[in-house]
Amino acid sequence: MTGKSLDIPARPYTGEKARLSRAYDYLILVLALFLFIGAFHLHVALTVGDWDFWQDWKDRQWWPLITPLMMITFPAAVQAVLWPNFRLPLGATLCISCLLIGTWITRFFAYHMWNFFPINEVLPATMLPSALVLDAILMLSNSLTVTSIFGGMAFALLFYPTNWPIFGMFHVPVEYGGAQLTVADLFGFQYIRAGTPEYLRIIERGTLRTYGQYATPLSAFCSALLCTLMYPLWWYLGKAFATTKYVENI
Amino acid sequence: MKMSLKTLFSAACLGLCAGALAPEAALAHGEKALEPFVRMRTIQWYDVAWSKAKLNVNEEVVITGKFHVNADWPRGVAQPDATYLNVSAPGPVFIRTERYLNGQSSVSSSALKLGGDYEFKIVMKARIPGRFHLHPFVNLHDAGSVVGPGQWMEVEGDASAFTNQIKTLDGSLIDMETYGLANGVAWHGFWIALGSAWLLWWVRRPLFIPRYKMLHAGQDASLISPLDRKIGAAIIFAVPMIVLGANFVTDLRYPNAIPLQAAMDQIDPLPPAVDVGAVQVKIQRAEYNVPARAMIMTALLHNGSDHPVRVGEFSTANVRFLNPSVIQPPQGEGAALAAREGLSIDAADPIAPGETRTIRITAEDSLWQRERLDGLIRDADTRMGGLLFLYDNAGRRYVSSVSAPVIPKFY
Repeated sequence: MTGKSLDIPARPYTGEKARLSRAYDYLILVLALFLFIGAFHLHVALTVGDWDFWQDWKDRQWWPLITPLMMITFPAAVQAVLWPNFRLPLGATLCISCLLIGTWITRFFAYHMWNFFPINEVLPATMLPSALVLDAILMLSNSLTVTSIFGGMAFALLFYPTNWPIFGMFHVPVEYGGAQLTVADLFGFQYIRAGTPEYLRIIERGTLRTYGQYATPLSAFCSALLCTLMYPLWWYLGKAFATTKYVENI
Repeated sequence: MKMSLKTLFSAACLGLCAGALAPEAALAHGEKALEPFVRMRTIQWYDVAWSKAKLNVNEEVVITGKFHVNADWPRGVAQPDATYLNVSAPGPVFIRTERYLNGQSSVSSSALKLGGDYEFKIVMKARIPGRFHLHPFVNLHDAGSVVGPGQWMEVEGDASAFTNQIKTLDGSLIDMETYGLANGVAWHGFWIALGSAWLLWWVRRPLFIPRYKMLHAGQDASLISPLDRKIGAAIIFAVPMIVLGANFVTDLRYPNAIPLQAAMDQIDPLPPAVDVGAVQVKIQRAEYNVPARAMIMTALLHNGSDHPVRVGEFSTANVRFLNPSVIQPPQGEGAALAAREGLSIDAADPIAPGETRTIRITAEDSLWQRERLDGLIRDADTRMGGLLFLYDNAGRRYVSSVSAPVIPKFY
């Protein structure tokens, strides 16, 4: 690593202008932080919802299908603003980091402190590895098409193996009440949730039965295909609803 | 005028703040929210009891009781093909350690049969100290929750003393309160550190205005350095490697991991307990007198038993209308939902063995209004339902599930 390669790109501003420009950076970053914590967290809570809230919803069919599909949305839209206008390849990582901040705050204060659920029952999933790869592919390819295809696919395909080291141990079987359950199922039975009975779980339902017990890769590839379509859709949504006219006027 | 508006606005703000700072505890579980005809004609609870009302953390309370699944099930409510016997509480202040339906251990959902009789037993272990209201209730898929009678529980002790250890099928003893937490936090911490490093790598340099100006001046090539590209390439290579490697190690560590379980329990009803025996009841007409808050039922009773019987109680949606000359009023919390003298019969003499008689049963009390059951007359399905309890001199009980269309009387 040479000193030259670490150089920060040339700056058009110096002195007071540079200081003001930096203050503007921080202002936007702080606002973006709160905006994405709130908006993206709300979006995920409303769309992924129970699949991310509870251990006993994180199944091998629907969880890896729904979660990447709903979580690639904001990253695509924010990348559509930060990359073409500023060449900043951090939209996905920024969004997923903000989501995790909001999620951890909620899980700790609302679920654990307020509603008494043990935190291990409400551990969130992470998509940070997927987001890092998505940002890197966009930076290296500088192409919406390539990022849609390879970035979108990587975003979905990395999801389940990323989270299996966190949640795999909750799939250890136990004998309880004369039946075989996973530790995750047992959370659902023991730690009562009045409004969410076990039968409401949308898990292990569908027509993947003819593929033996290999439902997860099929779900992941289905999600990958859908993410390649979802990514450009939200890219254009981000482009349509964002403006840089205030920067132009400076 | 201006001054008074300002004062009014300030007072409103102060009131709002005071209200927000001193919230009142929510003590209900929506037990009155469900439309009356659903509460009256689906799950009919009776004989619900708690083994104790005061306990310490780690001690258990046993909730027992019975319910009859009304055969006159409302057409507007989905059939009980998927139901879940649950307990309402403000979060998992208790954990459910055992649940039995008709003597059979049950951990999953099950179907209920119309007209079936069920006995349940739920064992709850105290986890958090405090005063909590517990109800058994049945979640009905696509319909809602039919709540049974409630009981206040006083839990004392220290929450940190709570233990919940489980033995897995691979022989490990795990603590459900902390299992997997350190591992999960460590993985989240690792990825957050990597993500933060990537963000800081970019945020440390001037961002929006200079980069925008340079990009539009055609200098975008200098905005992404060769080192940035190398790091990007490293991410594309290393991150999937770490992910797949960790995934592989997890598979090795937990070779017996299984998918989440989605089976339903198969529970058969008990031998019938309601509408059996020698006493038969048919409601011929039911009128609800709005000003008197009274349900007046004209019933045809046939006593086929060897003993004279008398009507002792009419129970619907957890409200008990009692005939004081037949049964003693309940003590404790159950008294709140019992109309001690709420049931009267037009003829006080018992129905003799072999006799068939038409009688007028009046269930009258303000509980119709307080429990929001009087709204039945404005429901889309205005049939009432409930359980009628008859007793003979030896104390034997005959239970009949009754239902009939209700005609309101407004004056």
